[in-house]
Amino acid sequence: MIRRYAALIRNAWLVDLQYRASIVLWLLWGVTEPAIALGIWWAIAGDGSVAGYARADFARYFFAVMLINQLTIAWDSWYLDRWIRDGELNFRLARPLHPAHEAVAENLAYKARTASVILVVWLVVAVAWPAVRLPFAPGRWAITAVAVVLAAAMRFFISFTTGLLAFWTTRATAIMELHAGMSLFLAGRIAPLALLPPAVAGIAGVLWFRSMLAFPVDLLTGTVQGTDALLRGLGGQIVWLGVWILAYRVAWSRGIRKYGAVGG
Amino acid sequence: MEQWADETNAANLVMMFRVPTSAFRLLSAFWRLNVAEELQYRANFIASALGTVFNMATALLTLSLFFHHTTTLGGWDYWEIVVLLGVFNALTGVIEAVLRPGIGQLVLVKPVDAQGFVSFRQLDIWRLTDIVLGLGLAGYALFRLGHTPSLAQLIAFGLTLAAAAVVVYAIWVVLMSLAFWFVSVENIAVLFDAVYEGARYPVSAYPGALRFLFVYLIPIAWTTTIPASALTGRLRPEIGLAAAAVAGVAFGLARALWRTALRRYAGASG
Repeated sequence: MIRRYAALIRNAWLVDLQYRASIVLWLLWGVTEPAIALGIWWAIAGDGSVAGYARADFARYFFAVMLINQLTIAWDSWYLDRWIRDGELNFRLARPLHPAHEAVAENLAYKARTASVILVVWLVVAVAWPAVRLPFAPGRWAITAVAVVLAAAMRFFISFTTGLLAFWTTRATAIMELHAGMSLFLAGRIAPLALLPPAVAGIAGVLWFRSMLAFPVDLLTGTVQGTDALLRGLGGQIVWLGVWILAYRVAWSRGIRKYGAVGG
Repeated sequence: MEQWADETNAANLVMMFRVPTSAFRLLSAFWRLNVAEELQYRANFIASALGTVFNMATALLTLSLFFHHTTTLGGWDYWEIVVLLGVFNALTGVIEAVLRPGIGQLVLVKPVDAQGFVSFRQLDIWRLTDIVLGLGLAGYALFRLGHTPSLAQLIAFGLTLAAAAVVVYAIWVVLMSLAFWFVSVENIAVLFDAVYEGARYPVSAYPGALRFLFVYLIPIAWTTTIPASALTGRLRPEIGLAAAAVAGVAFGLARALWRTALRRYAGASG
């Protein structure tokens, strides 16, 4: 299995390498949204603070969003939508390997490339701009790494499952866009959850949105304090990951049955 | 594949009619075909309108969130920025309806000016609703402001909006020219979306570095901040004139870059 994965990742890496310019474009796309949000919050915070967030806190928050969003993002619903509509799924089903493995490998290659670029940019900026420096805390970074893996796995299953809806509807990617629109607020992309009206922040915490992005970001910046908050956050991530894996299994088995029936 | 099929169909249909001689008549022939084709897919209209409403709601919610913590942004109050969002939406409609459908169909061998042809030959009529909804939103926000624009302000708005469309078009052409050097054109459109996000807020709300970027280097500040200022009565006449000048310069530079790119392309193909 490890050798297969190594081959898949190498393949994905080489395919991406042909489209270096595209990767840079997607990277810029991922960076501008937090940069603009940071610009606006920077102006609003002025010399004071907003709900306990001063300018430097916003800067650290949105740099962490750039990095962790890039580490957890999954484009699979767009791929699956195309695979299912254009029949590119067929030869993938004929392989002795579940198509999800190819998608996972593709994700790993993409993330290794874009996230490392962001990490380097962050380090360079931190040299010149003290506001975005994080305190040295290896223990917290290790826990953040665990939370990032859980978030990435969950976002992969959300994206993959939504993509599978293409078996039934032509608007699977529109549903994913809707989810992205909600996550703008609920996952903390436009503002830290602490700045949302409490009722909205509550919804984000009960559903899976906080686990997607805001929780790992808050872990990295040090906003999550105490073992209790840490365990509750990780627990929420594990529960929702389980739910989405379940949703994926149901969608895959039913979808494949339907797909086979249509193909005759 | 589908696109190529569409293109051959369109070409066949055009040949059945008398071949139009001027580029404008050619363009109008393409648009007529386009509208006829699109009217077959009315469900797309509903989807497109819903998408627009969703985008506008998201933008308004984001703005409300900012204003939950402040009373002005860059010296603008809530409803003034809603006017700006309306202008932003209308311009997005122009981009989506007119510019984006032409992506990836670099028809350079046709005997018409390639830049104009690549830019305008297809029309996504459903996205024209964006323009109507955007201007409607701007009108509603003006009503909430209790501000009725004078005739002079409306004329200034019309002129600066036209200048804004030219600037947007110039930025678009520059990005499309980059396609001659880089690989995938669709992804370059993504870059445009990313950059244009910055035009959602008045340029005065940004810190110095971003403001410099949006005014001088990627001149998106001229596309929304200025027309919205004209509507709310903030615009000083000399800034309006500057907007016209910026549009002219941007168009000239974009055209020069396009020609360079085209010459390079022709050279490469032998």
